[in-house]
Amino acid sequence: MSDTAVDVSTLDKQNGVTLGRILGRGTVGHAEEGPDGKMHGTIRIPEDELVYEPGILIMPHAGVLELELINDDKNTHCAVLPSNGDYKFIWLVNHSKGKATLELDGPGYYWYGSRSGNDEGRGLTAAIVVSGDAPPEARIDRPPQPRP
Amino acid sequence: MATDYVDAGQAIDNSSLSGIVGSAPPVTDGVTYERILNARSEPQNWLTYYGAYDGQRYSPLDQITKENVKQLTPAWVFQCGSVGLHSGKSTYSFEASPLVVDGIMYVSGWDGWVWALDARTGNILWQYRTASAFDVSLCCGNVNRGVAVAEGKVFVTTLAAHVIALDAETGKKIWDTTYGDVRAGESATVAPLVVKDMVIVGSSGGEFGNRGHLEAFNRETGERVWRTYMVPKPGEPGSDTWPDDGEAWQRGGGNCWVTSTFDPELNLLYVGTGNPCPDFDGDVRKGDNLHTDSGVAVDVDSGEIKAHFQYTPHDVWDYDSTMEHILFDLDGQKLAAHFDKNGFLYILDRTTMDPVRVAPFVDRIDWGEVDEKGNVTPKVFPDKEGDPVHFWPGPAGAKEWTHACYNPNTELLYAPVQDVGATATRRRREFKESIPYWGAGVGVDLDDMAGSISAFDPRTGEERWRWRNDIPMCASVLTTGGGLVFAGEPTGEYNALDASTGDHLWQFQCGSGHHSSPCSYSIDGRQYIAVPTGWGAWTEGFLPGMLGAGQGSALFAFALPE
Repeated sequence: MSDTAVDVSTLDKQNGVTLGRILGRGTVGHAEEGPDGKMHGTIRIPEDELVYEPGILIMPHAGVLELELINDDKNTHCAVLPSNGDYKFIWLVNHSKGKATLELDGPGYYWYGSRSGNDEGRGLTAAIVVSGDAPPEARIDRPPQPRP
Repeated sequence: MATDYVDAGQAIDNSSLSGIVGSAPPVTDGVTYERILNARSEPQNWLTYYGAYDGQRYSPLDQITKENVKQLTPAWVFQCGSVGLHSGKSTYSFEASPLVVDGIMYVSGWDGWVWALDARTGNILWQYRTASAFDVSLCCGNVNRGVAVAEGKVFVTTLAAHVIALDAETGKKIWDTTYGDVRAGESATVAPLVVKDMVIVGSSGGEFGNRGHLEAFNRETGERVWRTYMVPKPGEPGSDTWPDDGEAWQRGGGNCWVTSTFDPELNLLYVGTGNPCPDFDGDVRKGDNLHTDSGVAVDVDSGEIKAHFQYTPHDVWDYDSTMEHILFDLDGQKLAAHFDKNGFLYILDRTTMDPVRVAPFVDRIDWGEVDEKGNVTPKVFPDKEGDPVHFWPGPAGAKEWTHACYNPNTELLYAPVQDVGATATRRRREFKESIPYWGAGVGVDLDDMAGSISAFDPRTGEERWRWRNDIPMCASVLTTGGGLVFAGEPTGEYNALDASTGDHLWQFQCGSGHHSSPCSYSIDGRQYIAVPTGWGAWTEGFLPGMLGAGQGSALFAFALPE
């Protein structure tokens, strides 16, 4: 996983300029694909930061993501995660570890968060990015087009 | 000191923490193609998008009458909120038409929701939600217009341009096929149509310069049967209506984002196609630009285009023709009725797609003239770069995608009418895939607008009555064997009108505006009128004067007191 941080120090912390940490911050991580085609990633909630780390987890393509969620905080949180079929919910008491299996279409990105109190406003909102393209048979029959 | 972690276990389905039952009776197992063909013979059900293949949106049920409709009251209400940040947060709207099979309702919502409800109580039996990417391109809002059902499956399209099949008993996914390219600005909002062993769907994304397509998938496997593009490649029929030295056809538009109607005797689907792209800058796509803004008759087995009629050749007003073609026979003629965005009602011979008669259905039309054979003479249009031009109807159209209906007893057509103009200022821009490709700045009028439910005689095209409203009417209408027309308002009122006279008979305030397609069904002899409410979607385009209205999301089922 990469640990590239966004250097906006006064926004990227609890009770700085803002009350919480502005969304879309934190580090970027990459899910890794296993031999079974499923992707795997780990998300941590560090102590007193009220964030998921990495703040952005990138999947190499659409499919199934096996996620490990670790709460290293001294408070209880949770996660409501996107997945085809239904949201996936996991309760994460302080110092707990659990798993979630998600199925996501791509490309695009999805927010997920903790629904406890205003956790999601304080920073416990993070993104899963799904890389890739629509399958060739789904695309429009035309020459390649200019993109932004 | 290291401490062992508490085992939080495996994340669970969010709906397991609710009162949802988790399964529905197997009522759709027996919903065969033959039953859908004869859908109107079982009026207790609403088996397909328009109630029947002909698109009439007519229920023969007659328990609710002109005399007793004033007693109509909510039997139940279904609501669903949202969790977290989802795509199109400001544009979600409840636009679907519920289907009902033997007491079970199947309905889709915004943001990937599909529900099976007990149609007697409104209780949720199961729910399914497709996770939708936050950044998916939504041309016209986070909406979905409904599901199809057949032989144990529920079919629905998703914002990311998939068509999926769900198990009708459990709501679990059976197959999932991608049929559009979200990187090209494509999405899907259309309610699928089951015909024979196929599921018919079409593309959305009319403002992104793609190339619209209608297509069929095998309903058992999800494998594609055919795909038909509505804008021809060079050398294909109609390609001479595009510049022969350019790339305009590659971004020509002509999307198919409203459900087709179907004539089983002629074996033809009738699909309306969307605007050409760029919407308002015609200089980069000289010619008529087939088959945009057209009614297109498509062989359902092969996908071959058999006939067409283009309502607005070389459109520079954003006058999609995606709205329904209502099929009916009158005086020995096989006809199709189409209320176009351009303000004219077209009665077509549906065997040839030739116009039988054309008549205006809204008061203010100044964009052009259309003669009785459908020939167009443009009058007012964005022409010069940077020069603002005001025209009626605006790009919302004199009727939006929301559906008209036909009552075979009164032999009248009923349409929700929008009388609102707009100003477009042509601004050329280069095409970039996934970026909106309008070719103009557009502002729809915020005042000086009106609306109506208007009744028309298809034999003459004349207006027979009008129930006038201060603001445009933009929800599908429903007509019944009880001699009624039901119509919702953007301000939340739901109304019953006398189908013969237009007299106002009943009203209920639903708390949020109407932009959906109601249906009627019955259980144990009790007739219900079901209407999703929840204002939203592309409001800035079709009714910006109501942009600030509360969104909401609820489904009301009305019935007479027991």
